[in-house]
Formats: sequence, structure tokens, C-alpha cells
Amino acid sequence: MADEVFTLIAGGKAGYGIRKAGTVAAALFARMGRHVFQMDDYPSLIRGGHNFCAVSTAPGPITSHYTKADLLVCLDQRSVDAHASHLSERGVMVHDDKAKADEGSVGLPISAEAKQYADPELITGVAVAAALAAAIGMSESELAGLIEQSYSRGNEENVPYARTIYKAALPALKGWFRLNRGEKERPLLSGNEAIALGAVAGGLDIFFAYPMTPASSILHFLAARAEDLGVVAVHPENEIGVINMAIGAATAGARAMVASSGGGFALMQEAFSLAGMAEVPLLCVLSSRPGPSTGLPTYTSQGDLSFALNQGHGEFPRVVASPGSVEEAYRLTAELLGLAWEFQTPAILLTEKHLSESRVTAELETGKVAWAEPVPAAPGPYRRYLDAPTGVSPLLFPPSSEIVKWNSYEHDENGTTTEDAGNSTRMADKRRRKGESLADHLRTLHTVNAFGDKGPVIMTYGSTTLSVLEALRHGGIEATVVQPVFLEPLPWWELSRYAGRNVTVVEQSSTGMFASLLKEKAGIVPARVIKRYDGRPFAPEELAAALKAAE
Amino acid sequence: MSELSTKAENTWCPGCGNFGILNAFKRAVAGLESEGVDRGRLYISAGIGCHAKIFDYLALSGLYSIHGREIATVQGAKLANPNLYVVAFGGDGDVFGEGVSHLLFAAKRNADMTMIVHDNGVYGLTTGQYTPTSRRGFKGPSTPAGSVEDPLDPLTLMLVAGATFVARGYSGKVEQLADLMAKAIKHRGFAFIDVLQPCVTFNDTYKKYNAGTEPAAHDPADFAAAMAAAARRDRLPLGVVYETDKTAFDRELLGEHNPVRDSLPQAGRLERIARVISRS
Repeated sequence: MADEVFTLIAGGKAGYGIRKAGTVAAALFARMGRHVFQMDDYPSLIRGGHNFCAVSTAPGPITSHYTKADLLVCLDQRSVDAHASHLSERGVMVHDDKAKADEGSVGLPISAEAKQYADPELITGVAVAAALAAAIGMSESELAGLIEQSYSRGNEENVPYARTIYKAALPALKGWFRLNRGEKERPLLSGNEAIALGAVAGGLDIFFAYPMTPASSILHFLAARAEDLGVVAVHPENEIGVINMAIGAATAGARAMVASSGGGFALMQEAFSLAGMAEVPLLCVLSSRPGPSTGLPTYTSQGDLSFALNQGHGEFPRVVASPGSVEEAYRLTAELLGLAWEFQTPAILLTEKHLSESRVTAELETGKVAWAEPVPAAPGPYRRYLDAPTGVSPLLFPPSSEIVKWNSYEHDENGTTTEDAGNSTRMADKRRRKGESLADHLRTLHTVNAFGDKGPVIMTYGSTTLSVLEALRHGGIEATVVQPVFLEPLPWWELSRYAGRNVTVVEQSSTGMFASLLKEKAGIVPARVIKRYDGRPFAPEELAAALKAAE
Repeated sequence: MSELSTKAENTWCPGCGNFGILNAFKRAVAGLESEGVDRGRLYISAGIGCHAKIFDYLALSGLYSIHGREIATVQGAKLANPNLYVVAFGGDGDVFGEGVSHLLFAAKRNADMTMIVHDNGVYGLTTGQYTPTSRRGFKGPSTPAGSVEDPLDPLTLMLVAGATFVARGYSGKVEQLADLMAKAIKHRGFAFIDVLQPCVTFNDTYKKYNAGTEPAAHDPADFAAAMAAAARRDRLPLGVVYETDKTAFDRELLGEHNPVRDSLPQAGRLERIARVISRS
């Protein structure tokens, strides 16, 4: 129920520990057994500017943050100015008492009290937890415990500071909100963490990446837990090194993955085609942010859909799929890694900053994942590109007494370069047949999610699915939400049934790339396309209004 | 040794320096085999250009890569399975142009690989343009009035970047070159051989190198002496220019772990995943 949603928004400068504050609040709600959705909004800088986090929580499922805050904590004047209009009807604003704010808001000595500590900026983030604790009726000792558990260092300062702010907040805030406990505690995971874990579940042996927001946290997560997970994470000189090393690793028998955002992925195009020609299994994660070029590095977008579908030069099969939830990110990454290996061709997991970096309470069914066994080579003379009817040749890796030649040039079945005309046709046909085998195989998989079966049809994909589902919950709207998980090959066999329906498309692209794809590949002509392309995810309040207006 | 050959049609120009490199490499492999190295553990890669055809002419496993990227390709293969001996063949345009970032970092991180540069100072396959190692004044279709750039010095570049084995060979001295290649492959770290290679069609340097080279006579363990040898322009020293011991990148990164050999079955993975999730 939407009215049971509680939203905390906290804002301040970069360097105030806002992101951490959001994480602490999310962990607190999760420990209460509630569902949580945490979204961080931060610009591309390290100090100054304006950051905010939005943490929404409900006793039941919740798939988006809300933009109307029940508790709004503003650590500086800019946050007050930016968010004063984002207060819900029952909401309360807490702010640094040096900032000017409307009457009815609660001024606290956030910056004044921080002055006595070693890092008077970073510590102010702790005030968020203190204000939250006061507002939801936690005791001072419970707050101290929360701080001790949540911050790994500086607690000799964090705890007394939190106690001071808590005491100052208590008279005004005590008992303002009452949050019921949920039925059970769930782990908090970001989309990128789920992607990393899904890859490991699907067989990942080695991961290569060069840092680029919003994909970087896959690298950070796998590097930090490489030993725990039994995998290797490597950070080479650039994205070109990344993908070529991954291809080298795959040709030596290791299941490899790379990750980047649009710009880094553009650098990988040459090698993406190499993987297509040489038939190298490779999983690429493309986490989008608004472009073109540097664009808005820390925000979200679905403007790379066409880029992902058309990655690389030349003709070769590929798989592109996009998860609509953190749970699906886990499952799908494992599945795509398996498909890349089964069909020896590159696969792209397309996602966005909104899924990559948002943190949610997720219940991963860790054991329910695909595990592909690639076609092994029979004993006897080996031919890397054996012209099998399915287009899929058996795999063998060095060290071997057989010669295993992978080739970027057009090649014969043995992997030897040849420019012979007849052979070129045969090999192009082999790769095309492999694409057809792949498409046939997709028909046996779950490729499209449908939520609900009444009301108008809404089509969306990727992280926008999260926004749509929450908008429906918030607005009490009945609809059938159709989300193709696979985008290439697009499962037209599942989607064509919606061709005659009154379809609304929701996507985060200015040109409506997803709507164009549906039209081109599934014959679906949407009645309307609801778009947002300012780098910010849809807010459920706003999207619910737009969907109602469309009915 | 003959079974190291393949049935692929050889399309190098008669007299091409690449023949010397091919023959030297076959001898090097034969020599390694006589020392007990299984040729099945060799993984080769090549870039794009005349040099790269060597991939088709050797009965060895690997990936015929793309321009300049063979350097990254073999590093990936090595990290996947550190039991492999990985060798990258590259041209001078390939290695010092398109792939120079990979080259510098391979040396910097002491990746355990052998880099064999077919350095002929010209783009042969694209019909004679100047390359990063062409002399100033080199006339080709892209520099009809002569190149206005000074050439890179491969040996100095590699010494400064941190290569732990740096050598210069000459395709006209096959026996010495084979010996350098075998040493480079056995070297546990980044081994670089700049092979002087005449291109009979676009840059015939046989006379120049026959007369202008001599065996290196300094102590290859002495870095300053190596730098001085690399800087020589009067006569070009041939042989091992520098050699030192340093832990290789794969060992630093992986320790005893071998990603292919130690790849976990699904059940082991799921257990580990559950443990990591329980802590988040």
C-alpha cells in the first residue's frame, strides 16, 4: 500500500557522507524486515556540489524511491532550496540551523556541533541517522548501536555527535513516524552486485574492466571479493586492453566478462567484432548513462539501446538482454554467460545506472541459475570451426595435442586464413545458422515478463520496469506491464500478440528507441511513448500521473 | 621440426625477412621441446600485417588477433592459464603504433609473455607507408615528401618501460635469433625481441644490417650498459641487451591460482555466493 511507504531524502555537499547516510538508513529499514529502495543522486565530482539520497521503504514490495520525502534532512542551504518543495503532506524537514528554511521545519545544530570534530564535513552525514532515529522513535542507545554497526571507523566521534544531534532533534521529532516491522530481514544488494554474483554463478572465472561510472562498482565488488568468490578481477590499461585480454582468456578456456559504460564500450567495438568473427564466447556488461560522449556520467539513461543492438561492424549473431530487477540481474547474467558459451558469440547485458547503483532488499534465488555446458570436442583431429548443422562447433582449448586456431580473418574449418569465395560464403552461412540456432533456443527460454493481465498494455524494459511497477502501485492503476528481457533476438513470437492493442511505451530515451524497436521487430505501434531523458529516473508520483492521463 | 609447418600457402615475397623469423622460431620451439617443453603449451598470437601470416604458417594453437591487440590477447590467455607459454608476433606499426599502450603496460607490469617484433620500418601489407620506426625522410604513399618524424627507439623504450628481457635479433642471423627466442620464451616475465627485418619490396635493408650490426658485448645484467648499447647508432648490437629477474604479473596477481584449472563447479560457486550475500 502506497500510504505505508516512508521516504527519507537527505541532501548535502559531496564529502558530507550523504551516500553513506543513505546506506545506513537502508540497512536500518532492512533490519526492520521492511522492503527498501535506495537511490543515490550525485554529480560527477568529489567535493562540493549537491548530492542527495532517497531511501523509500515499505512493509511490502517497493521498486522505486519516491521524490516526496516524509523525512527530509538538509545538511546545507542548497539542499533546503533544492528540496523544500519535495516534502510530503505529512512530512517534516530537518535542516542545519544555519540555513534559512520555512516555518514548521526543524533546525538542528548540525554544522555547529560538527566543528569540534576532526572532519567537520564528513561527520555531518551522521546527523541523518540521528534525525531518523529520533523521528521513528528509536532510543538513544539503539542509535548508538546502529552507528557502531554501520560506520567502520571514527565511531569515537560519530557516536557522541549522533547522540548530540539526536537529543536536539528529539523534542521536535519524537513520535512523528511509526514504522511497522516487516516479516523478515532481506539482504541489500545493488544491481551491479547482483550482476557480479550472477556472473560467478554462471561460471565466471576472470573479469576485466577499466573504471567507468556506472559500471565501476562491478569491478570494485569483484576485486574486493575475488578470493571469497574464487574469481579474478583485472584492471588493465584501457577498455581496448580489457576486451582483448578477455578474448585471450576465453580462447584459453576461462569464462570471461567485461563491463563498461557507453564511451568505454565504444572503444571495445573493434574487439567485439573480433569475438563475432573468431566465435569467442564473451559477456559484456553495458551500464548506461546519458550520452553522447561524456554526457551526464553519474545519471541514468536508456539511450544506448540501439548502440547495444548494433555493437560492432560486420554480420554476426549476438545476444542482448536487459534485467528489470536486481533479482533478474542475477539470473540473467548467469544465463547470458551460459548463452555466450553455448553459442560462442558475444552477449551484452544492457542495464542502466538506475539499476546498477540503486540498492534494494533483494531475495535472490541463488540456486535457480542457468549453467551451460558448451559443446565439447570429440576425440580425434580437431577443427575449431567445424561446419556443424547448428553452426555451433565443438570447443577445445590449449594446452592440447590438437591445434586450436581462432582467427579474426575469414578462415577455413581449421582456423587457417583463406580468402576463397566459396569458403567465405560457407563460413558466413555457418555464423548465420548459429544465430538462427540461438534464436530457436531463445524460444525455449523465459524471454518476456508480463505483470498483471488486465487494463491497458504498458511496454517497458530494463530498470524503467521498476519505475513503472511502482507507479502502478502508487497510483492504484490496473495495467498489463510487458517487459521483454531479451532485446536481440527480440522475442517477437511472444510480443506480437500485443500488436493490435492500445500500447503505451515507457522509456528513458529522447528519441524513443525502444518504441522504434518494437515497431521494427514486433510490429507494435505504440499509441504513446512516455519518455524521460534528463538523466533522472522516473518518479512514481510523476509517472503514475502520466499513465493516468494516458488512459 | 617439419611438422611445425602447415599446409597454408606462403605468400611472403621471395627473400622476405619473415622467412628468417619463421625458421628461427621453429628452431627455437624444437630446442625447447628437446628440453622437455611440450609444444601444446605454446599459445601464439599475431597482429595484422605481413608479419602476422606467421600465425597460419605455424602448427601451433592461439588466436590470429587484430592490429596491435595481440599484446593484450596473449596476456589474457596467460592470466586464464598460467601454464601456457604465450608468444605475440607483431609488426612495428602494430606494436609501436596501434598497440603501443598495451606494449608499455605489458612491460610495466612484467607480463610473462614473449613479444617478437618483426621490425621492418615499413607497412608492407598496406603498400609501403612509414611506420613508428621508419627513418626521418622515409618516402611512402602517405609521406611522399619524406617523413618529418624521427623514429622511435624500441630498445630504449622497453628498457625505460620496465621490460625484464630486452633483445635485438636480425632475421638474417637465424641461429642467433632462434637462441634469443628460446631464451625469451623461457624468461619468466616480459621478454621483448626487436627483430631487424628487411622488406625486399618496400624497405630493403639487408646490406645495411649485414654491415651495420655486431654481437652485443656488454653485461646484460647492467642496466646502464644496456641503455648505452640501446643508444648506439654507429653499429647496432645484436643479442640480449638486458635481462633481470622480477616476479611476473600473473604470479603477483594470482599467486598459485590458475583460473582455468581451479574453476569451481556450480555447487562450490553457489555456496560462496550465499556466504558473500549473508554478509551484505
